[in-house]
Amino acid sequence: MAKVLRVDRLGKKYGGRWIFRGLTFELGLGDRLVILGRNGSGKSTLLRTIAGLTQRNEGSVVLPEGDPRHTLGLSALEQSVYAQLTVEEHLEMTAELRGCPARIDELLEKIDLAYARGVLASQLSTGMKARLKIGMAIQANPMVLLLDEPGAGLDEDGRNLVSRITEEQAERGCLIVATNDPLERRLANLELQLAG
Amino acid sequence: MNSSWRVEILAIFRKEWRIEMRSLSGLVTAFLFSVVTVYAISFAALNTHIPPTVVSGMLWVALLFSAASSLTRTFLIEEELGTADLLRLVARPHAVFWGKALFNIFQCIVTSVLVTILFLGFTSTQVIIPWLFGVSLIAGCLSLAGAVTLCGAIASQASNRSMLAAAIAVPLLLPLVALGVSGMRVSLGEGSLSGGGSGAAIGLIGYAVATLATGPYIFAAVWKS
Amino acid sequence: MKTALKASFGLLTGWATIWSFTVPDVAAFQAPGFARIFLWHFPCPMLFTLLILFGAWNSVRIFQRIELKPFCFMPESDPAAKASWDIKAIACMELAYLFALLTMATGILFSQIQWGWWWSWDPRQTSFLMVLLIYAAYFAVRFAYSDPGKRAAFGAAYALAAVLPTLFLVFVFPRLPPIANMSLHPTDSILSGKIKGEYAYCVILILILFTIMAVYLYNIRVRTGLAEFELENNDAKLDAGGDTAPTGVVRPVSLSE
Repeated sequence: MAKVLRVDRLGKKYGGRWIFRGLTFELGLGDRLVILGRNGSGKSTLLRTIAGLTQRNEGSVVLPEGDPRHTLGLSALEQSVYAQLTVEEHLEMTAELRGCPARIDELLEKIDLAYARGVLASQLSTGMKARLKIGMAIQANPMVLLLDEPGAGLDEDGRNLVSRITEEQAERGCLIVATNDPLERRLANLELQLAG
Repeated sequence: MNSSWRVEILAIFRKEWRIEMRSLSGLVTAFLFSVVTVYAISFAALNTHIPPTVVSGMLWVALLFSAASSLTRTFLIEEELGTADLLRLVARPHAVFWGKALFNIFQCIVTSVLVTILFLGFTSTQVIIPWLFGVSLIAGCLSLAGAVTLCGAIASQASNRSMLAAAIAVPLLLPLVALGVSGMRVSLGEGSLSGGGSGAAIGLIGYAVATLATGPYIFAAVWKS
Repeated sequence: MKTALKASFGLLTGWATIWSFTVPDVAAFQAPGFARIFLWHFPCPMLFTLLILFGAWNSVRIFQRIELKPFCFMPESDPAAKASWDIKAIACMELAYLFALLTMATGILFSQIQWGWWWSWDPRQTSFLMVLLIYAAYFAVRFAYSDPGKRAAFGAAYALAAVLPTLFLVFVFPRLPPIANMSLHPTDSILSGKIKGEYAYCVILILILFTIMAVYLYNIRVRTGLAEFELENNDAKLDAGGDTAPTGVVRPVSLSE
């Protein structure tokens, strides 16, 4: 199976304390990895390190060939959206910055926010913001999709959305989900328990 | 410049524009700070005649502190609100720098024109060489915006980011102030073009070009730190 | 061998000190006997300038392996190499600031003796004070970040941003015609051949001695910094339990658990 993502002896520390070290794994087309661990074990840090938002201290991450703006998507809990932009403006902006088709109508239908396209992000609920973040993450059809606590703030429809996204992603590339929710293990075929 | 580059920079500029027009917090704060600064400095002069050198110096102090306090917001606010990571994921660093710098240039020019009109009015000062005055102001705004944008980015991830951004921007801009005062005092009637006025104008333009040319590269190196 | 070199350096420094007191007075100065402060003042800004340029070079090396072409996207850098260049950069900056303070101190002393004021708002004094403020802000940037990677990156960025204003203040601003006419500070003394004879030889010797001392202090500082870095990274041996760090293994999901 063609490898999509390779992580080799990855390590990250804050101050003198290693959050994780020596992590090595490869993900191929269709792999869905769930990262489990208690609060503070480094799940979010691992996703951010893979995405390049946090500098690693050791090891390497090899992403698919191509522009990372297109090959990688991340939706994270601590990520914010712009309160003074509408849903549509967010998608328009990310498409222009990435240089990819905006697919606004299609994405809004997919994340079930078509009714809120002209609503300012400051007026969105937590669940709606989470959907918007997922929409921006999948906009460029990335080969590597990283989801940090995707179910947080989502209702049952929202969780079904995450399941659909997971199935679509499996056909396109690989998925990594960081979660505290044991139910979300069903989204994955591989798991990594962080013991930090 | 290919169309992709233009589109990306304009996307950032448009984002900044929309956010500012819908909240107006940055512009209003900048205007208020500028007006208060001008008033305070003019009040200190107590209606006495102020020589052109002192007028230029006071005006540049007002411009400098106005820029250092308001223009650094563009990056600080991204980190404070948690939106910086979204930009890091979807945008290329040069586009982010240029988009924000262009917006800061616009904001700086608008604020500077207001400050200048008020200041010249309060101090009853006449501009003798308008083109030199204009060049000093515009080139000064370009340099101010470029340098302060970069300082905002350098300070954005520190815990005391607001204070740090202003603290590191002001020393870096002191040479610019020296050039700006040299140019403006000639435009207000003290000294001569050949005695330093035209040299100051060239220096200001050169400073602006150098700041805006090197800023994006320095920014790109730290954007994902 | 090292002891002999250090002893030689000590003897040379002693000889240079005595020589600086025996060179002839300079009649052109108000206090001719105290013009010899120049012998100790002159090497300081020269070394300061060399050190900040070398520090800027080390700062550039911190960013090496990062693509700096326009619109690059995913920078990569080796953390260990970055730390090494950062140690060298901070060593340069600390030494440079030391020489900058010595420049200012000897300059202020000279100002008091020759012109009667500790601070005379001379353009040279003023511009060099701006330089001191610029590099004080460099240390402010470094103190603001506790994470070593961020401290290195943002410190390097500021060091590079500070090069242009510093070069302008040191080399261009004091030589601008209206400024140069206002300044009491001599300009281009070396280039115009005003320093000659015993003065020239003595100042060259002191410059060489200061340079040797700067190199020696730089090496000590860098070795200390590298040793600290190695110690921090060697936590596997220091960890009482013998474990390195939390890690994990990817395994298939077992839905029965």
